[in-house]
Order: sequence, then structure tokens, then C-alpha cells
Amino acid sequence: MSFSKLFFLLLLLSPFAFSAEISQAIKEKKLYPMGEKIFTKKCPNLEVNNYKSYEQLLKALQNHSACGTLNTKYSQALALYLWDIKRVEKIDALQEIKISKEDKCQVCGMYLHYYPNWVCEIDYPKGEVYKFDGIKDMMQFYFNHKKGITVILVKDYYTLKTIDAREAFYVIRSDVLGPMGNEFIPFRDKKSATTFSLDHRGKSPLSFKALTEKMVRSID
Amino acid sequence: MIKDINFYLAGYALKSLLRDKSKNIFIFIVFSLLVALLASTFFLSASMRAEYHQLIKNYPDIVLTNQRAMQDIPYNTDVVNRVLNLSGVSSTVGRVYGKYAFSQAETVFTLLGIDAFENYANPLLNKLNKKYSLDDNAMLVSSSVATILKQNYYKEYFNFIKEDGSRQKVQIADTFYTPKSSADANLIVMPNELVRKIFGFKKSEFTDIAIMVQNREEIGFIAGKLQEEFPNAKITLKEDLLREYENIYNFRSGFFLTVFVIAFFTFFIIIYDKLSGPNSAQKREIGILKAIGWRVEDILKAKLYEGILISLSAYIFGIILALIYVYIFKAPYLKAIFLNNYTLLSDYRLVFHIDIQTVVLLFFVSVPLYIAATIIPSWRVATLDADEVMR
Amino acid sequence: MITLKNVVKQYGNSLALDSVSLKLEEGELVVLKGVSGSGKSTILSLIAGLLKPTSGEVVVDGKKISKLPDHFAALYRRDNIGFIFQKYNLIADLSVKENVLLPLVPMNLPREELESLLEKTLSSLNIKAKEKSLVKNLSGGEQQRVAIARALVNNPKIIIADEPTANLDEKLSLEFIEMLRAMKSKNRTIIVATHDPLFFNLDFVDRVIEVQKAKILSCL
Repeated sequence: MSFSKLFFLLLLLSPFAFSAEISQAIKEKKLYPMGEKIFTKKCPNLEVNNYKSYEQLLKALQNHSACGTLNTKYSQALALYLWDIKRVEKIDALQEIKISKEDKCQVCGMYLHYYPNWVCEIDYPKGEVYKFDGIKDMMQFYFNHKKGITVILVKDYYTLKTIDAREAFYVIRSDVLGPMGNEFIPFRDKKSATTFSLDHRGKSPLSFKALTEKMVRSID
Repeated sequence: MIKDINFYLAGYALKSLLRDKSKNIFIFIVFSLLVALLASTFFLSASMRAEYHQLIKNYPDIVLTNQRAMQDIPYNTDVVNRVLNLSGVSSTVGRVYGKYAFSQAETVFTLLGIDAFENYANPLLNKLNKKYSLDDNAMLVSSSVATILKQNYYKEYFNFIKEDGSRQKVQIADTFYTPKSSADANLIVMPNELVRKIFGFKKSEFTDIAIMVQNREEIGFIAGKLQEEFPNAKITLKEDLLREYENIYNFRSGFFLTVFVIAFFTFFIIIYDKLSGPNSAQKREIGILKAIGWRVEDILKAKLYEGILISLSAYIFGIILALIYVYIFKAPYLKAIFLNNYTLLSDYRLVFHIDIQTVVLLFFVSVPLYIAATIIPSWRVATLDADEVMR
Repeated sequence: MITLKNVVKQYGNSLALDSVSLKLEEGELVVLKGVSGSGKSTILSLIAGLLKPTSGEVVVDGKKISKLPDHFAALYRRDNIGFIFQKYNLIADLSVKENVLLPLVPMNLPREELESLLEKTLSSLNIKAKEKSLVKNLSGGEQQRVAIARALVNNPKIIIADEPTANLDEKLSLEFIEMLRAMKSKNRTIIVATHDPLFFNLDFVDRVIEVQKAKILSCL
């Protein structure tokens, strides 16, 4: 390959290289929120779908033609936010698990509002909903009532955001105990589950499908 | 219930008290002062605790400060990203701030830097960010600062004197109002870069890193990871600040203990006199009452009214005194004793925060005790035969 | 209606009454004649329920008051007895009105009733004008009238007076005797214990009973 072509390739690849350096964690925790703020404040009318590629959007921002004067950091944040979040059809955010003062765990009867970080629920059609004070109790219920479930919700340990239980990863036998003792700790991705299992001396992360009745019974 | 109160009996009780005026007035005054003293300390400490919690509420869960030789030094940007990558950390903000000595007016300004699009733990900064778009060379000042600047003939701008002696001229964009509580006085808010210029920080340096952790249970663990990853760092946890305050101001501290012991002893001095029972004149009177048809229970009821009249009124009066002392006069000498220990709350507004529990506790410790001390010694006398009267 | 049956009263080694029996009819005005120490004050105290006999019975209106427990004895006194003490036993620092009111205070009567009783009693003894004055500021005669008023205020069936004229000059003693005459009525039994000779030959006195050295000598 000639030198110029190599140079051009590098130039083309550099934005990717650059954005590949930024971890998903940094994007989610800092850049997307910042981008959203910039978007709302400085150019709420900017239509991201007018741009054919991320680089094009980024360039437009950097040369101040799309959203006023923005420095490098802000341009990137805004570009990432627009491209990764705004452009994609907003997936219905999962309904947050709501707990009232009277809600009790379906299996053990404990009042749930004392343990908001640990609650989880199983939804059935026609508004039939059961809530639990931990995944251990929920799984006990689950294995006997598998039919007709619409969605199972749990809270990601690190961010406490509601996630789909069936897409989550679980760590058992860690040093973190739930309200009912040893628990299945849920994570929204394998990476954070692995980090947790190493930090808190738990077993390797398991997918939802890998959870068995025997595990639930023998966890204590 | 009002009907059950025998007003004639109460009138008799009142008259009995008034017949021994000087002694009873003395008891009333001492009782009230005791209640006022104790209640004042309770009110003050509850109010300060509430104020402190309110203050701490806006602190970040963890603050990371860089140190060399255990002296505070600034951080670089890449630290922010390294921290962000830790699982469990929900946000990390590099903070730029410092104190500027304005020698002309003999005051100190606190300069807080903001980034227009960051999310801060301090709601004041978020509010200002939302409202204003600051120019690179403009600042927002709190009302107290605006007053000081005006007094020194700075109305539209101010000249900060930098490390090297040169001046940094900054436009005053607007004034904001803060409730007059502790650390909010003398605040100036300006873009991060401007703060850096004034104090001589490098372009990407931060004074410290403010970290928020979503799941409270992970805070301790993350603090541990941070210490491993940044061995030089000083790690300040919000929970530690709270605990530190509680340790100073819980009721086992030396100050409270001293106050309680004094109050206890004084109270028993008052009661001691009552415990010796009625004197001979009072005994005679009890005999007369029995002779004209008063039962033991009537005599004791009169004593009960006597006890209630003094102790209840002294208690209420004491509480009112305490309220006035703490919330209207702002507790002059008492405040100095408290604040001596804690400079975080330097000049603060006293929140009207009544801790009902202590008020009720104070009631039950003082009033029934006094009433019992009034009734019980009279009991014995009241049951004596009234024929003594005849002789 | 007042009966003493074989009443013995012993104080340590001294015998105050030695098996005394006595019967008084309703409406009688009786004078107990005897020197001090003869036992007549003891009889008064027994009838008033202020003392209990060492042995024997005191019956008033069918009730064995010698057996009444302290609580009921006080009630008995309140409802039935009006006592005029030798030393008046008024509370010097209280007003006339307050002193006269004293027997009624624990009863918690409605205001109007109390006021009207007071009104009647004070007026009938001509001390209404001084009702607010403190007793210690009154003359001897006025104090006596207050003592009588107090004894009368609860409309008692039995009036007992112990040496009522012992501290009075002749003029006031005669005044008292007139008041005594006015008090006599069908429904009221009056017993006066005295060694004042002015009482021994009064026309409205039904009987003079002599008491000497713990015994009743004669029942005229």
C-alpha cells in the first residue's frame, strides 16, 4: 500500500480508534449525560438523522457549523450522545419496580419497603404481579409458576436500575448478603458480574438459564 | 375531662402555694431555669444536627484528594476516567475550587469552578448551570460577596491578583441568593478554567475528585479499591463525616454529661426540701381539713394540684424561655461552646427543628418526679388521725 | 338518734372515758357540762367520728360510725357534722369566704349551688360584708361567726361545739348563745361541751349532761 493510502486509512480509522479508547463505562456515566445536557441547552433542534455517519456529525460539531462553538470535549460528548442514544429508536424503558408500604414478599412475607435495593418481580398477563425481597425467593416461586410469565424484573447491583432478569448475569456465594442471607446477585452484563465476583469472592457469573432448582435449595 | 378538674380545689391549692410565696417562687424560678438550660442544649444540638445533615446531604459519597507527603495537591484529568471505569461508581466529577484572600476587605472568598455541562452533587451549582451560560471571563457572585465588592468600589468587574502578581479581570455577570447557612457565604461561581488561571493550576488539573456510588453497600468496598489504585490519595467518605459529627454531639459527650449532672443535682436540691414533708403549720392545716370532712384522697388531690401548678407551669415557662433563647436570640454563649469544636458550621442559621422526643422526655423526667415529691410525704400526714387538731 | 354504748377510750395509760353510755334524740340541744380533762371533748370527737373508741359502739342515725374506715368517716363528717372548735381552727391566711367554703371544696359542686349556699350562710351570720377579708384581720367575734358559718355551710344534721365561749368576753358569749338559739330546729341535733355557767340555765337547752372523770354523772 502506498504511503498516502496508508495515511488515509489511518485517518479514516482514527475516529474509531479514538472512540474505541473510551470505555463503555465512561460513555454511559459521563459522556452521554453530558451530551444530553449540551443537546438540551445549546441545540435541541439538531436532527441527528440528517447525518450519514458518526464522523460527519463529529466534524460538523467540531467546525461549529451544527451546534455553535463547542470545544473538543463537548463536541465528542454531544456526538456520542446523539449517535448512540438519540438516533436509535427509544426502547421502552423497563418499568421501575414500584414498592408501597404494604407490599410483602410473596414467598416469605417480609415487608419490601425496607429492602428497596433487593426487590424483584414477576409479571403475568392481566396485571398479575408478584414481588419478592430477593432473587432466591423469587426463583423458588418461579420454578413452580413458569407458565405465562410476561416479564421478570430485577435490579442491577451496581446501578440499581431495573433490568430484564432473563438477560442478566448472576453471582452466587459472594460476601455480599441480601435480606434473606446468601443471594443470587444480578448484573446487567457479564463484565460487571465478573468484576463483582472477583472483588467479592463469588463464583463465576451464571446466565439466567443456568440457574437450577437445586442451586436455589442449596444456596444456604 | 375539663369538668373533672375541681376548680375550687385548684384554687385552694393555688392559695396554699401563694401563702409560702418566696419559697415557691424560688422553686418555680430554679425549675424553669433548669428546664430552660436542658431544653436549650437539646434544641441547639437538634437544630445543628439537622443543619449539618442538610449540609452533608449535598456532599459526594466519596471525595478523592491527591497528596504528596500527605499534603493536598491537584489531580489530572485521566484520574477521572480511571475512577469512572470502576464498577459501582455512578458518576465522577473533577472539582476545581479554592479560597481567595481579599486582603483589602479582610475577607476570604470561596471560588467554585463549574463546567457548563457537568452534573454536580451540589444543587446550587446545578441550578446556576441551568440558568446561566457563563462567558469564559465572567462570574456569578453570592449576595454577600456582591455587597463586599460594592463597598470596595467594584461594581461590574473584579481584579483577582494571581500568583505572579498580575491581574485577572473578571466580569460580574449576576448575583445569586443563597440561604445564609454555613459554607455558602462569600461564594463566587465561575468557569473551571478561570479558577485555574486565578490560582495557577495547570490546564487539566482538579482540586479533587467527587465520586457518587449508586449502591450504598458498595461504598466502603469502592473506597478500598480506590486506595489500592491511588495509594497516595486521601479518601473522605460522606458516612465518615456523619459519624464524626455524631460522635462529637451525641449525648455521651463531655459537655452534655456535665450539664446533665449539674441539672440532676440542682433538681434534687429542690426536691429534697419537699421530701421532708409538711411542716407543723401544714400538718395542723391537714388536721383541720380532715376534721371538717376532707378525705385522704381530697387532701392528696389538693397536693397534686399544688405539684402540677408549679411543675407544669415552670416546665412550660422553661421551654418557652429555651425557645426564645435559642431561636430568637440565637443562643449566644451556648453556641460558642458547641461551635468551638466544629468549624464546618461557622455562622449558620438555626433551623427551627424541634426534637419532640427530648421535649417529652424532659417533661417526664421533671414534672412527675416533682409531683411525687409533693404528694408522697403528705400521704403519711394525711392518714394521721385528725384528733390532734382537738388538743 | 345518737347512741353511745359502753364506750371506753384509753390513751396509753390514761382512761379518757370509762364505759360511757348515752342516747340523744333528733332535734335535741344538749349541753355537756364538765371541767377540762373530764372527757367531754372525747365524747364530741367520738360522735364526730374523729376518734374511734377502744371498745364499745357509737351509732348515729342507725350507722355504726365507730366501725367506719377513715375514708367513710370523713364523708360522714362532711355530710352530717358541723364542728365549731374551741380554737376555731380557721386558716388565718385565707379569706372569710374561702374558709367557710372549705368543707364543700372537695365536693366539686356546680358554681351556682356553691354560691347560693355561701350567700345564705354568710348573710345569716352577718359577715357577708367582710367575705373577702382575711381571717387574721378580723376581730374575735367576727372570727367566731366565721367558725360557725363554716360549721353550718354544709347544712349538717349534727352541730358540735367545743368550749365555744372559752375565749370570749361576756358580751360575745351572750351573742353566741343567741346564735345558738337561732340554730335550734327540729332537724338539727346540737351538742355543746362547756364549763361556762352561762349555758347551764338556758330555756332552750333540752338537757344538761354532767361529765366527770371519764364518766357520765347525770342525764337531766
